[in-house]
This record gives sequence, structure tokens and C-alpha cells, in this order.
Amino acid sequence: MRNLTVLASAFALVLACPLVNAQTPAAKSADTAAASAANGKRAFTSVGCVACHGAQGQGTAMGIQIAPPPFELPALITYVRQPTGKMPPFAPGAVSDQQLADIYAFLKSVAPPPSASETLTGNADNGKKLFAAYGCYECHGRQGAGASTGPRIGPPAITLAAVLRYVRAPTGQMPPYTTKVVSDQDLADIYTYLKSLPPPPPASSIPLLNQ
Amino acid sequence: MRKSKKDSVNRRDFLRAAAAGTAALVVHPAVAKAASPEQPRATGAPPLLKAQPDAPAGAEVVTVDRPGSDFMVDVLKTLNFEYLCANPGNSFRSLHESLINYGGNRTPEFITCCHEESSVAMGHGYAKIEGKPLLVCVHGTVGLQHASMAIYDAFCDRVPVYIVLGNFGDAAERFGQVDWTHSAQDPAAMIRDYVKWDDRPVSLQGFSESAVRAYKIATTPPMMPVALVADHELQEYAISDGANLSVPKLTMTSPPVGDSGAVAEIARLLVAAENPVLVTDRVARTPAGLAGLIELAETLQAPVVDRNGRMNFPTRHPLNHTERGGAAIANADVIAGLELTDFWSTVNSVGGQLNPVVRPSTKPGTKLVSITANELYMKSNYQDFQRYAAVDIAIAADAEATLPSLIEAVKRQITDDRKRTFQDRGAKLATAHQQAMQAQRETAASGWDATPISTARMSSEIWAQIKDEDWSLVSNCQFVSRWPLRLWDFNKHYHYIGGEGGYGVGYGLPAAVGAALANRKHGRLTVNIQNDGDLMFAPGVLWTAAHHRIPLLIVMHNNRAYHQELMQVQMMADRHNRGITNASIGSVLVDPPIDYSKLAQGMGVHAEGPISDPDDLAPAIRRAIAIVKGGDPALIDVLTQPR
Ligand code: HEC
Ligand code: HEC
Repeated sequence: MRNLTVLASAFALVLACPLVNAQTPAAKSADTAAASAANGKRAFTSVGCVACHGAQGQGTAMGIQIAPPPFELPALITYVRQPTGKMPPFAPGAVSDQQLADIYAFLKSVAPPPSASETLTGNADNGKKLFAAYGCYECHGRQGAGASTGPRIGPPAITLAAVLRYVRAPTGQMPPYTTKVVSDQDLADIYTYLKSLPPPPPASSIPLLNQ
Repeated sequence: MRKSKKDSVNRRDFLRAAAAGTAALVVHPAVAKAASPEQPRATGAPPLLKAQPDAPAGAEVVTVDRPGSDFMVDVLKTLNFEYLCANPGNSFRSLHESLINYGGNRTPEFITCCHEESSVAMGHGYAKIEGKPLLVCVHGTVGLQHASMAIYDAFCDRVPVYIVLGNFGDAAERFGQVDWTHSAQDPAAMIRDYVKWDDRPVSLQGFSESAVRAYKIATTPPMMPVALVADHELQEYAISDGANLSVPKLTMTSPPVGDSGAVAEIARLLVAAENPVLVTDRVARTPAGLAGLIELAETLQAPVVDRNGRMNFPTRHPLNHTERGGAAIANADVIAGLELTDFWSTVNSVGGQLNPVVRPSTKPGTKLVSITANELYMKSNYQDFQRYAAVDIAIAADAEATLPSLIEAVKRQITDDRKRTFQDRGAKLATAHQQAMQAQRETAASGWDATPISTARMSSEIWAQIKDEDWSLVSNCQFVSRWPLRLWDFNKHYHYIGGEGGYGVGYGLPAAVGAALANRKHGRLTVNIQNDGDLMFAPGVLWTAAHHRIPLLIVMHNNRAYHQELMQVQMMADRHNRGITNASIGSVLVDPPIDYSKLAQGMGVHAEGPISDPDDLAPAIRRAIAIVKGGDPALIDVLTQPR
């Protein structure tokens, strides 16, 4: 109500973009010379990607995490030339295919942050309780099914390591939950609970969604 | 008060005259003649002022045959209000009595309200369906303060509500303590920042002219509420014998239309653009606005991104790109905002956690053009005018009224070449629309069988039961993740009426009852998805719906919280690194859980629930619709996911 736009309209935008949705024609794969991560690091700054994606591609309030990249180089080029969300497009005059190949090499070279996630095992029952108690349900729905206020996270499409990274330092509108208030073990429990949930049925199997 | 020298009898003169035993001796101010010689027509019955027939000679005459409020009714009847929504109050008791007896309780018919906020919000919802205001009477200082939140919503939403408020202007005429507390020197002062116009006439003729003027002002775009003070003395004292009262003719002002040069320039940009986008918010005031927008979009084969302040554009039209609005706007080279309340936020977004971080949502160089009547009238204090948008062409005019000339100008400029380009674009847009719709359905499937019930499931269950009826959804969809707008087939102007305007809570139920009141004579099935927190502000309007037999299907979105605030407090607890399990303190409605069906039943409304199994929804909705079709309101309490 009083501060509606913060959580309503801003959230809707966050959900509208990522690479998987890009339907632009596949970029002609760069006939580029061997890529250089060092050049890429420089280009990442000089071209201005850094302003939104952060020095290590770790993401900021203005742009999402893109390092290490979960996508291939052609997809990166396609996206940069014709983004589908909030990101401004970059024409070849602004950043060449070669520079993008370098940037890709740089992003690849960024090591994922160290994580305790491999050693953790979670408890789904406790995770279910914590999911409610910590207020995750408020934005993601009681069973993590998602809403206009937060995306579906049950079952999660990302790894526990990625969840740990995201929840500590969200890049969008989600509030940060630091180690001071939520332990890695708590998050592992929540993750295990979310993993235990069934995936949504396809819409085609639901008559009411085809009326 | 400053007593009218023209046409109301000075009470003390009257008493003196009466005491002298000769009411006939009352002096009629000669100035009455000067009023308006070209309008000799006095409305209503001849003004009379007689001693009560059975009073002994010499006794004070304590009856009034023709109070000023009768003339007020004559005036108000010329404005053709179907209904009067009011909670009774003694500052307008004479007008109340004149309306129900002298006026026959017809045009307007009195609708009993249990809170002035409900009266105004009913007027708000009614006007968005009917396209014209109803009358709201409020009681002096106290009623107006109750009404003020709803007036602000209507103001922000650019909706006309016609308010008459009682007041005891002349301190010497107040009977006691209560009259004093219910009186103000300048009663409308407290709402002046969010009404378009107000007046405090001091004579009946002044009331007459101001009443007609107020109607005209309220209903000329940009439309807004207006307030007229009906002074107690003007209402209660007799109309003087021979008073030359008249009601001026109401001529509706034609809405402001855009300057032809600027319209042609916008048309040129739109025709030349590779990726034009039309962004709409409150364009369609009438069915003509909806039809006009369809014609403009189809002529250009341009996508429409709808902010849904009104029913502007059909949801299943291939050019409706609301659900992929971000991508459409990011790709646009020309963006036309039509009655777009917040242009700035359409082309910028605010992210960030601690401090707002602004970034453009458009490509550099995108041309922005705007047509809105909002530019014609802004107030300083309340900030509903939104952040300043640096557009390239701004037309201060009503968009709906300007559409025909814009469409003409566009058609004039289209070459065969452009037509072919438009066709190709249209084909691509149709595919993108289909994909966006499919994405909505896939998202809706998430949590389909969950308990509490997902808002997507609830919306789909309602749709299944109403889609073959002549339906009208009259609640804001924002709080149910906009599911109806994402899934249902909206295509008539009364299928949707937008939201609060000012996001003031308490609007939902009374506005829905008001809209249902307007829909009643058209035989439409009115549907309201009702937030629990909103209902608790002023639930008495349930009784109003039952009492006046206003058919309305109310489906509760009962998430047992002031959920927006719950999320906000959670964010603060997270940010402050403490107490993250405490956020519900102050924001949830759980202990005890509120039984909305009992509440509704207690006010004479058919009700069932709470329902938490999604499979129980369809039969409950069917039962409720049967009641509504019989002419009564019905409520179903549904326990839902938060959003
Ligand atoms: C003004 C801020 C901004 C700048 C500058 C920017 N980006 Fe982005 N980028 C974003 C945002 C925000 C997203 C998330 C999707 C969206 O809204 O477009 C994004 C998404 C991406 C994606 C898609 C990632 C995915 O997983 O979907 C890639 C790749 C990308 N950016 C690369 C770059 C590169 C390379 C540069 C520099 C040439 C750059 N960005 C410059 C804001 C920016
Ligand atoms: C106030 C609302 C809110 C709360 C509370 C909240 N989230 Fe989120 N969450 C979001 C939003 C919005 C996003 C989408 C990205 C963004 O804007 O940050 C998100 C994204 C996520 C993501 C990333 C999803 C992806 O696929 O990339 C994870 C994981 C997540 N949230 C987990 C949690 C957990 C676990 C909790 C509770 C400890 C929680 N969230 C509480 C709003 C919230």
C-alpha cells in the first residue's frame, strides 16, 4: 500500500529479463582472434560493463551477476547486441565482437567464491519451518511457488552454492540475509526443503489454464 | 454566515414579522429582481411562507412550508444524479429530508452508508462504470474528515465525485455544542488540496449556479472530485416569497483536444518509428476510448503496454504486450504515453537497496511523446503528479478525445511502404504476444494445488465460472499478482476499472459496491476480489450492499495480513540484521483469525468459507453466483497465498 511500487513494479521488472528468454537471432559466432582475459578485464571496465555488473562481474544493484558465466560466448554477444530487459544495447561500434570474446574469457577466469556448500547436508522438515519463520514465504509464496513479489524457488533451479551466494548479497530487490541472522546450515535446510517440492505441472495439463 | 440579502429570508426578520401576527408583512428584498433578468424561470413550486394553519394568532410560527433545501433539491435534480450515498448527519438534515420527501427519494435515491469513506469510495467506483458522478452528502467537519481519504483516492484516480457538505456557517445560528464542533469557518479547506474545485455559496441562487458549475468542472477532463457547502441556514429557512430563483442550464464542456500541429508531429514520429510503443494508463474514459486505442494500435501495428488504470485495451489482443512490457520499452524508438500517470517510471527504473539507484529503461535517443489532461491541472501540495518526465512532445489534452484526430493524422502519413513494414511488425508482435501469454500460463501452474490457494488458481477458478456471463471485475488486480489481467479475456470497457488511484487502503470493498450499483441496471455480474486488510477498514458497506440489494460477488483474497507492510518490515529486519522472525508483529491478522463469512452473514450477506482446498472453490463460486444472479451480494472467504 503505502510503498507499493518498491515491491510491486520494481519486482516485476527484475523477473522480466534473463538470457534464457532472449529470442534474438543467434549472433554470428565471432571470427575472433584468440581471446585474452587480461584484455577482457580492461574492456569490461573501459566499455562500461563494470558500472552495472561490478568489477568481478559479481553483480550490483544495476546489473546481475554474470561471472563465472553460465552461458556460451554466442549467447553473450546476442544478449549484449540486443538485450531484452533493463540492460542497454551495445552496438559493434561501442564494443567489438573481439572485445566481447575477451570479456567472456575474463568472466570465465573469475573463480567462483569459496563455499561451504559441498560439506552441508540439510534437513527438509527444519527447512520448511525456517522458510516460514524467516519470512521467505512472504515474497516467494508458502511453498516457494513464486508471485509478483519474488520468483519461484521451489524446487530451486540453482545450486545450494548459488543460493548461499544470492541470499547473502542479492543484486535486485530481495533483502540480504547475512550470516549474522541466517547460518549456512539454516540455508542448507531451506534448500533441502525447497528441493523436496514437486516441480510445477505443465500448463497444458491443466484445463483451467487453457480456457 | 453572511446572510443572503437576495433570496433567503432573514430569520430574525421572519420571527419578528411572525410575532407581529402577519407573516404577509415579511419584506421581500427588492434586489431579488436584479438577479438575472434573462432567466426569469423560477424552478419548482412557487415559494411560499405561511403561518402554520392551526397556530393561535400571535404564536411563533415554527413550521416551514418551503425550506431552501427544497430548492437545493430542484437544483440537484437538474444534474440527474441516480443515487445519493450518505451517512446521515444533522448539518444536512434539511437537505436529507427534502431529498426523500420533496424529492421523492428518486434521482437521487438515498443509499445508506455506514461511513463517509464508504460513501465517497462508492461514488468513485460508480463513476468509473457509469461515466458520471453520483451525489455524496457528508456531515460537516466530522463527516468530511471521514471522507477525506476516499476523496484523495478519487482525486489521484481522476474520477469525479460530487460532494455536498453541511455546515453551520453563522455562529449566531448554532444551537449548541455539537453544532459548534461540526462547523468550520472554511469547511472545504482541509480537502482543497485534492479536489478540483469547491465553493461555499451564501445564497440559494449562488448555490444553484455553483452546483451547476461544480458538476461541469468535475466532469471535464481531468476529472476530479468537487465539494459544495450547503449552509445550514440556506437549507433550513424558508425561501422568501417572490425570490427569483433559477437553475442555470448545464452545458457539458467538451474535453480538451490536442493542438493539430503537435498531433501531426506525434503521428509523424509514430509512423516513421521502427519500434513504436503505446503506453496507456487512464485513456479509456468511455467505450470510445477503448475502440479508439484499438484502431490506433492496429493502424500502426504498434504494441500497447497497459498500466491498467482503466480498461484501455483487450488483454488477448495480439498487440497487447503488457506482459512483456519491459522488453517492448527497452526496444522502443518512440514511446507514446497516453494518459500515463507516471511517464518517468515507464522510462526509468529505480533499483538498489539502501539508496535508490536509477537507470534508464530505454535505449539512448528514444523519443518520448505524451498526451495527457493531467498537464492541465496540478496542485502543489500532494505529490501524486510523479517525477518530472523529460519528454520530447507534450500535449496537454484528453487522450481519448484526441485519439480520433491522431488516428486521422497517422492514416494520412502512412505510405504503402510503411504499411508493408507494419504488417511484418504486426506478425512478429503477434508471435511475441502468444509467447508472453503462454509464459503466464506456465507461471500460473506453479503451486496449482497448493494450500493456501494460489492467487493464480483462485483467479482461474473464478474465470471458469464467469467467462460466459456478462461480467465486470471491479477490484485492483495488483495484490493478486495481477492474475486476472494475465489470464482472463478482458475486452469491454466495464471489464476492468483500475485501482485506488492513491493506494489508500479501504477503497476496495466500497468502490466495488459502488461499481456494482452502477452495473445493476445493466444486468452485469460484478466481481470483486477483496483483500482482507482492506475490508477491515470499513466493513459496514457489506450491510449497504445487502440492504439496497446490490448484486456483487465478493471473493476474499484472505492472506491474513497487511502483506505489503509485512514484506517491508521483513526487509527492514533483514537490512538491520536482527529479529528476522519478528516481522509479523503489527502486520498480520491472525490471532484470532477473522471469520469473514460470519462477519458478512451478520450484515445479511450470503457467505461461505474459509475455503483452503482449491478443489472446493468451483462449487462455492457457483453457489455464490446463483445468489448474485438473484439480485443479492455474496461473499466467499478464500485462504490464499500472500500474493
Ligand atoms: C546500465 C547497466 C548495464 C550495463 C552498462 C551492462 N549491463 Fe549487462 N545486464 C544488465 C542487467 C540489468 C542485466 C539483467 C538483464 C536485463 O535486465 O537486461 C544484464 C544482463 C546481462 C547479460 C545476461 C546475463 C544472463 O545470465 O541472463 C549479459 C551476458 C550481460 N549483461 C553482459 C554485459 C556486458 C558484456 C556489458 C558491457 C558490454 C554489460 N552487460 C553492460 C545491466 C547492464
Ligand atoms: C521481501 C521479499 C523477499 C524475501 C523476504 C525473500 N526474498 Fe528471495 N527474492 C526476492 C526477489 C524479488 C528475488 C528476485 C531477485 C531480486 O530482485 O533480488 C529473490 C530471489 C531469490 C533467489 C534467487 C533465485 C534465482 O533463481 O536466481 C533465492 C535463492 C532466494 N530469493 C531465496 C530466498 C530465501 C531463502 C529467503 C528467506 C531466507 C528469501 N529469498 C526471502 C524477494 C524476497
